[in-house]
Amino acid sequence: MGMSVAFEGDARAAAAVRLAEEQALVRSAQAGDRLAFEELVRRYDRDVLRLALNLVHRPEDARDIYQESFLRVYRNLHRFRFECGFYTWLYRIVTNVALDHLRRRTSRREDQAPVPEEAEGGTRDFFDRQPELRPGANPEKNLLGQELGAHIATALDRLSPRERMVFEMKHYQGLKLRAIGEMLGTSEETVKNSLFRATRKLRASLDGMR
Amino acid sequence: MQQDQHDKMAAEICKGFEEKWTLFASGELHAWEVAEMKGHLVECERCNETLAQENALVALLSSNRTEPGAALLAGCRASLEDALDREEEHGWLRRTVGALLPTSWISPAPAWSAALLLLIGFSVGMLGPRLLQHRVTTSTSQTPDTPTKLDFHTAKMAVMTVAPSGANEPPEVDVQLNAQRPVTMHGTVNNEDVKDFLMFVLHNNQRFDADVRMNAVDLLRARNKDADVRSALCQTVHTDHNAAVRLKALEALDGAEPQDIIQQTLLDALVDDQNPGVRVEAINALRAMAAKGQVESDDHLISVLRERMHKDPSTYIRLQSAAAIQDLGPRQKF
Repeated sequence: MGMSVAFEGDARAAAAVRLAEEQALVRSAQAGDRLAFEELVRRYDRDVLRLALNLVHRPEDARDIYQESFLRVYRNLHRFRFECGFYTWLYRIVTNVALDHLRRRTSRREDQAPVPEEAEGGTRDFFDRQPELRPGANPEKNLLGQELGAHIATALDRLSPRERMVFEMKHYQGLKLRAIGEMLGTSEETVKNSLFRATRKLRASLDGMR
Repeated sequence: MQQDQHDKMAAEICKGFEEKWTLFASGELHAWEVAEMKGHLVECERCNETLAQENALVALLSSNRTEPGAALLAGCRASLEDALDREEEHGWLRRTVGALLPTSWISPAPAWSAALLLLIGFSVGMLGPRLLQHRVTTSTSQTPDTPTKLDFHTAKMAVMTVAPSGANEPPEVDVQLNAQRPVTMHGTVNNEDVKDFLMFVLHNNQRFDADVRMNAVDLLRARNKDADVRSALCQTVHTDHNAAVRLKALEALDGAEPQDIIQQTLLDALVDDQNPGVRVEAINALRAMAAKGQVESDDHLISVLRERMHKDPSTYIRLQSAAAIQDLGPRQKF
């Protein structure tokens, strides 16, 4: 008991130090220190890119979301007043950019060029698309894997942009619903409802694939 | 009848829990709610099944995740740096206009807002160039021998010479930049200003000649263990439009770390580069890493090598890929 309290105390102290460091970085960046801003970017950019890539499935679109998000952060950093954590504020911007992108994509769907066959799985990179040539490989398993990937991508596409965002942030970014609500500028209850709807739609789409 | 009523009540309770299983599986419930639901799970097979389905759904979707590759992340960072450089150049204009135009009073009055914007645009167009000229003159009067970021962007490079120094010392670099006021830099790649300039050359490859970029790659090789240098060299392998520069960047990655990122860069070049010389260098570097035990053999690596063994137009690359498979893969018949 004593040791777990000690560990908890150490963890809180480490979190407080990290928070203080981050606040110092933000203040330096607000004062025009480019290196401080770049350090802030490095702390979170992988998470941002992961979120973007899993939402849009195209590296070039993920790159656009990444760049637009951090540029908005850079332009508006002087307005950040430490009323919430920097992470929350950053993600507010990222989710707005990503939602705009998803909504534009949904409304332009009829105008989009046909998606090349190999991209329909959505998330596969070049290496995953290569045929498995080892004698020990299972072609049937690979084909099932590709089909499953395609079904999952189709099921995710049926979610609204907001449902998809909530699902992604909850299950793959590991955020609490309350934090997601703050980032999306809405209530925890609304986020819960989005999550329920998303889960129901996905369950209906993927029944039989598990 | 009592049994029917009991079943009906149980069904009502289960229905009440339906949405809570999603929150239970997500770790969103309070401790007392978790205890209540765990108590219910002990006696309700249907809810156990529902929870199992919920967990299975999340596990299924988790199997389909994508982690951004190092090359994509490096490319994003490099593009962002370029965009930030452009922002810094135009920053004064945006800050001035932004301060004058709070969005809260623009949107409710669109006609007045449009008229005001026209007026501001006209004023900026008349006054802007004069203010910009003044800012450039002011910045070039500071610290005469230390080039600022502005000098990199507005300067046209005049001369870059590289001279060998001692046996164990990196070469000396002399750079003369033509700007409002000529700027010179002198030092080795261990000098942070020189390093920043060389990285700037690689990130802005469209502005500098190929021989300058090749010199930059050659010089930065001595610092390929720095994360930002490694990232710039990987980006050069992917994006420079000159094959000789890409090849030199591949060579410069020799000895850089972490090795999994270098391995991935080599595989990308082996698969994607149109120039056979670059692909040859990539396969040679891969085999050299394998000989030192630095290559992590996995299914992706083997499948790439097999694909090259069958499909690459170059006989040398096909043979080297086969040899690499022998070095790295399990023994088997082709």
